[in-house]
Amino acid sequence: MKGLARRIEGRSALQRADEIGNRAEYLAFMLGNEAYAIEIGNIVEILKPLPITEIPRADPDVVGVMSVRGRLVAVLDLKRRFRLARTFTMDRKSRILLVNAVEEEIGLLVDEVLQVYRLSEAEIEPPTVLGTEQPLHVVGIGRPQAGAVLMLLDLAPLFEE
Amino acid sequence: MAEHSGGGRGDSAGDKAREEFFSEAQEIVDGLSRDLLVLDEVCRRGGSDAELVNDVFRAVHTLKGLSGLFGAAMMSGLSHELENLLDDLRLGRIELTPQVLDLLFQSVELYGRILGAAKGDGPEPAAEVKALLAALGQVAQQKGGGGGSVVAQYELDPGLLGVLTEYEEHRLRTNLQAGLSLYRMRVQFQLATIDSALDDLKARTRPHGEIITFLPTGEGGDAESVELEILVASREGLSVLGEAVAGPNLTIEEVRRRDAAPPAAKESIRPPRPALSDMAPAPLPSFAPPPGFDVPQTIETDDYTEGARTSRPPPPMSPTGLPSVQSFPPPPPPSAPPNNAGGPQAQRERELTLRSVTQTVRVDIRKLDHLMNIVGELAIVRSAVSRLTERVRLHETLVSGRAEAAEGGWSRAGDAGPWRGSAGPRDGELRELVTSLTRLHRSFDRHLTQMQNGILEVRMVPLGQVFDKLARIVRQISREHDKQVNLVVTGAETEIDKLIVEELSDPLMHMIRNAIDHGIEDRDERMRVQKPAVGTIALNAFQKGNHVVIEVEDDGKGMDPPVILAAAMRRGLVTEAEAREMSAKDVLALVFQPGFTTREEATSLSGRGVGMDIVKTNIAKLGGVVDITSEVGIGTKMTITLPITLAIISVLIVEVAGRTFCMPLASVEEAIVFDDSMVRTFEGREVMTQRGATLPIARLAKVFQLEGHRAGVWFNEDAKTPTPPAVSARPLGRPKSYVVIATVAGRRVGFVVDRLVGQQDIVIKALGRSLKKVRGFAGATELGDQRVGLVLDAAALIAEVLANAPGDSARPAPVGASGEIAVVRRSDDAVGGGAAGTPARGGFA
Repeated sequence: MKGLARRIEGRSALQRADEIGNRAEYLAFMLGNEAYAIEIGNIVEILKPLPITEIPRADPDVVGVMSVRGRLVAVLDLKRRFRLARTFTMDRKSRILLVNAVEEEIGLLVDEVLQVYRLSEAEIEPPTVLGTEQPLHVVGIGRPQAGAVLMLLDLAPLFEE
Repeated sequence: MAEHSGGGRGDSAGDKAREEFFSEAQEIVDGLSRDLLVLDEVCRRGGSDAELVNDVFRAVHTLKGLSGLFGAAMMSGLSHELENLLDDLRLGRIELTPQVLDLLFQSVELYGRILGAAKGDGPEPAAEVKALLAALGQVAQQKGGGGGSVVAQYELDPGLLGVLTEYEEHRLRTNLQAGLSLYRMRVQFQLATIDSALDDLKARTRPHGEIITFLPTGEGGDAESVELEILVASREGLSVLGEAVAGPNLTIEEVRRRDAAPPAAKESIRPPRPALSDMAPAPLPSFAPPPGFDVPQTIETDDYTEGARTSRPPPPMSPTGLPSVQSFPPPPPPSAPPNNAGGPQAQRERELTLRSVTQTVRVDIRKLDHLMNIVGELAIVRSAVSRLTERVRLHETLVSGRAEAAEGGWSRAGDAGPWRGSAGPRDGELRELVTSLTRLHRSFDRHLTQMQNGILEVRMVPLGQVFDKLARIVRQISREHDKQVNLVVTGAETEIDKLIVEELSDPLMHMIRNAIDHGIEDRDERMRVQKPAVGTIALNAFQKGNHVVIEVEDDGKGMDPPVILAAAMRRGLVTEAEAREMSAKDVLALVFQPGFTTREEATSLSGRGVGMDIVKTNIAKLGGVVDITSEVGIGTKMTITLPITLAIISVLIVEVAGRTFCMPLASVEEAIVFDDSMVRTFEGREVMTQRGATLPIARLAKVFQLEGHRAGVWFNEDAKTPTPPAVSARPLGRPKSYVVIATVAGRRVGFVVDRLVGQQDIVIKALGRSLKKVRGFAGATELGDQRVGLVLDAAALIAEVLANAPGDSARPAPVGASGEIAVVRRSDDAVGGGAAGTPARGGFA
């Protein structure tokens, strides 16, 4: 049931694209060798790596906690969350996307921030093209004219557990 | 936050007004509840308190007005019916019976739920309100008019009786029925000073009786003065009352019963006051009461009913035997300016009441949190300034040293050079700068501390806020359960952080429910074991260092370990083997297990097996602990120990495997140098002997599984990337480490750490929702240079260590084993005591 609801919401990503003059803005970023994108409205801020304090006994995809102007923000490693890597890495290109989650802001560690894409309805494929059983957070495939292929993410399912 | 800013401006203004409405309504309802409790108390002693009924009436009236304003229909309807009931009560049309009180208490409950529902917290209690309204209607039908027969027996002018308000008539009747004497005073007042003079007279009358009414007589007055007739009911004789109110322009006489009045007495009454028909059309044009002087409201003071209370002995009469009229303050001379005898006092009283309205501000706690955050940031600025000051001072020392050296060199060379002239003044200037900077920093430091304390103080509220609610619950539950219970509260004035108070009401409610349901025996049983028929629940609060302790103690049947154990086994919470190894204390702690109950069936009161679990979880969330002591047949005492505030705490900063952690100083007993030779193994767990007692120890590095990881772990080892800040720069294999002995509610554990860094006051912040489930941390704080330090949750860690074999998760820990240590520890319950005698105390003091 829940999956179905998600599908519908995924389709609503298309509708949203429709509403904003047929275009929605997505921020594309790299996780390992794969390109992902989330709707820009979810993003509060893009931060350069800050000191992050490890939290003993937290889930393995939790990098730690950092302070953003006095507020504590937990940092998640999306690569470990998506099982793309077993350990996390940070380098000059790494960025932390500060996003709105349930009752708090959360930092997402990504390898590199690419650019903002404005995707029209025609440029978004439903997730079902990848197969019928896709994880809830995958809401579509973005194919901007530049030729890139972006996995479009919905963050809500990631924070719901 | 960004999501809060949504919505139009008009919306947010409306929201604000609504919020104000909620908090104001809540405050009134709270006040209502308090008044009802007092009323209940008075009622049980067989008395009555007219002013309290008035207060309740006024509160409901205000609620009605408020809710009407905000279109809260259900609340407004309820208030309307209640108002009618209270009006009947006030006027003596119905009696204040326990049933009526029940209805009133029920309404308070419903008000709470209506308010909750309006805030989106649960459904509106429509059915209950309807039922209550019906019940109120029934009561209203039962009212019978009080007889005027008593009043008729007195020689009172029918004209006077005709102008009494219904309320005044009721008070007159009540007082006469209670057997009080009735007096009539005639007093001449100067219009210029009538306000204060009347207040003064009222004040002098109050200890002796109740003023029923005062009315202008329409005679004896002129353009500047007016004569009032004042009807007073008093328990005392004419001479005593006369002395109390004595003054010029005042006559007093007793109004006698018709049957008892000797003919002579009739003569003594002064010329009869004109019939009402004479006065009504000409209501004294010159008599313009100043604002605040409310003639029609005859009774408006707090303790005037003193004499009217049948249950109480008459108040002590001051100098009864001495006919010294001088000892009473004479009333103001007619021409005196307003600021005489009673004037300033009365004025002050008025100011006070005004002040209490205007000088308090309701503030959303989140705003205080925000301020607290800012102060936290300022504290970080402070440490940066401190470092800077230190550097400048160092620089100055260097420069002046160099200058001296240079000067010496030059003078030897005999060459003044261009430096010679300027070196002196420049040097002085720098030194001056350093001095000013240091002074400035110190002042900043001081003010910041004051500000921190100030904000903390604002957050503090008395525990009485939650205790009041509990008193209502005790009354309700004990009635439902037909057990008589007395709640004895001490320390309601103990102050604690507002956030903690909010979170306390649920746990305390469950504890009290349990105490009444499971603790207090029923009446017959109590008689049989020769206990007083009325059970007692004591609610004590007091401050103990940085903690607030709340005790809930009952004199019930106590908790019987075998019964608890049997119930726990029946529910599969413990196995038989585990049970055999448990100490009495462990057994008592079983009641905190989710699903535990001794009841076969849930009652409306308890028995679902969730209550005590909630208690423990909620208290733990606040950084507190609950302890139970109980004796079969004597009673049970539950003790909650809580930190005084959640916002700023002193911590001991420690280092473990290169990571920095903060241990709340409130839980630290002492820190001593640790040596591996001190450790002994005891059933697989490490203990040491400290001052003759066994102390379980836990290596934090093992508890947190930090060994084997690289220190800091900000970035991965494989990454060729920025190295973490130099936390791990110190040499490894340091020979010395420390044991930080932590104590929470009498349970002690020594935590082994690598290094003690120092003591610091920090602003503790909660870890976000996504990190809530990580055990062992109370929150985190910023330690300066943007680093975050995790604050350890001492209570949780101690519980964890005592529950499991430390650092050996592979081996299942025998549940019972902790009990044995608990018993061993018994002998040492000194918290921080004798720390001075420790050979090597950690360097944080």
